[in-house]
Amino acid sequence: MDYDDRSVRRFIFATVLWGAVGMLVGVILALQLAWWPANLNTPYLTFGRLRPLHTNAVIFAFTGNGVFAGIYYSMQRLLKTRMWSDKLSAFHFWGWQAIIVSAAITLPLGLTEAKEYAELIWPIDIAIAVVWLAFAANFFGTIAIRKVKHLYVAIWFYMSMVITITVLHVVNNLALPVSLTRSYPIYSGLTDALVQWWYGHNAVGFLLTTPILGLLYYFLPRAAERPVYSYRLSIVHFWGLVFLYIWAGPHHLLYSALPDWAQTLGMVFSLMLLAPSWGGMLNGLLTLRGAWDRLRTDPILKFFVVAITFYGMSTFEGPLMAIRSVNALSHYTDWTIGHVHSGALGWVGMTMFGMLYWLAPRVYYRPLHSTSLATAHFWLATVGIVLYVVAMWAAGVTQGLMWRAVDANGLLQYPNFLDTVRVLNPFYWIRLGGGLMYFTGVLMLGWNLFRTSQSSATTTAIQAA
Amino acid sequence: MSASLPPEQNRLLGHAAECDGIEEYDNPLPTWWLGILYGTIVFAMVYTADYHFVNHRSQAGEYDAEVAAAAITWPTPDASALANVPLTPELIAAGKAVFESNCIGCHGTDLHGGVGPNLTDLDWIHGGTLENITKTITEGVPAKGMITWGPILGPEKISQVSAYVHNAGGGN
Repeated sequence: MDYDDRSVRRFIFATVLWGAVGMLVGVILALQLAWWPANLNTPYLTFGRLRPLHTNAVIFAFTGNGVFAGIYYSMQRLLKTRMWSDKLSAFHFWGWQAIIVSAAITLPLGLTEAKEYAELIWPIDIAIAVVWLAFAANFFGTIAIRKVKHLYVAIWFYMSMVITITVLHVVNNLALPVSLTRSYPIYSGLTDALVQWWYGHNAVGFLLTTPILGLLYYFLPRAAERPVYSYRLSIVHFWGLVFLYIWAGPHHLLYSALPDWAQTLGMVFSLMLLAPSWGGMLNGLLTLRGAWDRLRTDPILKFFVVAITFYGMSTFEGPLMAIRSVNALSHYTDWTIGHVHSGALGWVGMTMFGMLYWLAPRVYYRPLHSTSLATAHFWLATVGIVLYVVAMWAAGVTQGLMWRAVDANGLLQYPNFLDTVRVLNPFYWIRLGGGLMYFTGVLMLGWNLFRTSQSSATTTAIQAA
Repeated sequence: MSASLPPEQNRLLGHAAECDGIEEYDNPLPTWWLGILYGTIVFAMVYTADYHFVNHRSQAGEYDAEVAAAAITWPTPDASALANVPLTPELIAAGKAVFESNCIGCHGTDLHGGVGPNLTDLDWIHGGTLENITKTITEGVPAKGMITWGPILGPEKISQVSAYVHNAGGGN
C-alpha cells in the first residue's frame, strides 16, 4: 500500500518546531512571573501578549500538528487506504502553518479578540475554519474510500474532534467586523461568557482529550504489541465522554453572574465525567498487562504510562475543582495553572513524545538515533512536570487560603495583593526550573529525530512494519 | 497471560485484520468502575434536587448567610461608642503609627494635606468633634476619594487614629 508518509513527516517536523517555540515562550513567561524585569520594558514582550502566544502555540501548533501527524499515519493504516486527497493534505499542512505564523505576529502586536484560547482576530478565524474544513473533507473522504468495514475506536475519537471543533470554533467566534483587525462578538455580557467557556472547556475536551485518546488507542497497542483490554469499555467510555463533556463548561463560571441552575449543571456534569475519563485510563493501563517487563527498557512505553497516569490524575482533579466549595478556594489561583499543565505536559506532551519516538523509525525508515537519549528525555520531562505541578499546587492552595484569611477582628489578613505575590515567588522559581527541564527535553527530542532522519543506516524491516 | 480469568474475558474479537494488526479483548466493564459511573450519576441527581428543590440554596443566599454570620461575630464599629474613650497619651501615640502607615499619602506627614484636606486648621468639612472625626474615618467620603476605613482598620485602630487626628490636628 502506498501510504502518504510525507505529510506525516511534515507534521512531525512542525510539531517539534512549534513545541519548542511554544514551550520556550512558556519558560519566558515563568521567568517574568518570578522576576518582573524579564518583561524587558517593551509592550511586545509583556506577559499579557506572550501568554496567549504560549497557549495558542502549545494547543494549536504543538498539539494540533502532533494530532495531525498521528491521525495521518494511523488512519491510513487503519482504513487501509491512502489519504483521499494529496492536495487537501498539503493545503491542510501549509494552511495550518500559515495560521500559526500569523498568530505569532498578531498576538505580540496586541491584536486580539480577548477570548481565552480564541484570541486570534477574525480574518485568522476564517482561515482556521477554511483549513479545518479542508481537513474534515479529507478525513471523511478517506473514511468513505476505506478498504475495511470496521471502524476502529481510534477513528471514532478522531471523528469526535473533527466534528466538535468545527462547531465550537465557528459558534464562539461569530463576530461583527468593524475593521480588518477589530470585531465585536455577536454575544454580550453573560451570554458571551457562557459561549466562551462552552468553547474553552470543550477545546480541552475535543482537542486535548479525545484525539489524544484516539492516538493512544492506536499507538499504545502497537508499541506494546498487546491486545486492547476491552472493546466494550472503549465504546462505553467514548460515548460517555462525548455526551458529558459538552455540558461541563459552566464550571469555569462558578460564583459568577451565571444563574445558579447553570452553575449546578456545570458542576454535576463535571463530576459525572470522572468514570468515562477513567475508562480511558483503565483501558490504557490494562492493555499493558503482559508487557510491564518491557517498561524497564522501552522509553516509548515509559512515556505512555506516565501520560496515562497523568490523565487519570488530572481527570480526577478536574471534577474535584468543579465542586462549588473546592472551586471557591481554587478559582483564580495557581492551582488552575497546575491543573492545566498536568494535563498539557503530563497527558498530551508525554503521549506526543512516546508517539513521535515510535513513529520516527517508521516514517524516516531508519533506526532511532539514540534510545538512551530518549530515556534521558523521559526522566527529564517527568521530573520537570512533577516540579511544575507540585509548585503550582502549593502556590495555589497558599494563595487561596491567604485571600480568605481574616484576623480576630474579621479583617482581611492580607488585604494587599502583593502580600500573596511575595509568598508565592519561591514557587514561581521552582516552576521555572521544572519548565526549563521539560523544554530541554523537547530540544533533545528534536535533536534525536533530526539525527534519525539524517542517518545513513536504513532498515527495510521497519519500513515494512 | 492471565490464565486465571474466565475464558470469555480473554476472547479476542478478531478485529486485527481490519485494525492494522491491533487485537481487542471484550472484557466486561470493571464493577468498581461501574460503581463510580452510577454513583456520580445518582449523586448528580440528589445534589441538584437538594440544592434547588428541597433546600432552595443559592449563591445569593450563601452570601447573605455569610454576611449575617459575620455581622454577629464582628459587629460594625459604632462611631459614637468608639469616640467615647479617654484620650490617653498611649492612645494618641498608637494613633500616630496608624496615621503614618495609612493616611500620609493623602494628608501628609505633617497633616497639612495634599490630595486630602488639611487636618491642622480649624476648618472641619465634616465636623471636628472626636465623634465627627471617628465617623468620617469609619464611613469614609467615597465620593471624594476618602476610603471607608472601618472594615479595613477595625475598631481599635479607628479609635487610635481618630484620637491622634483630633489631638494633633486641632480638633474642637
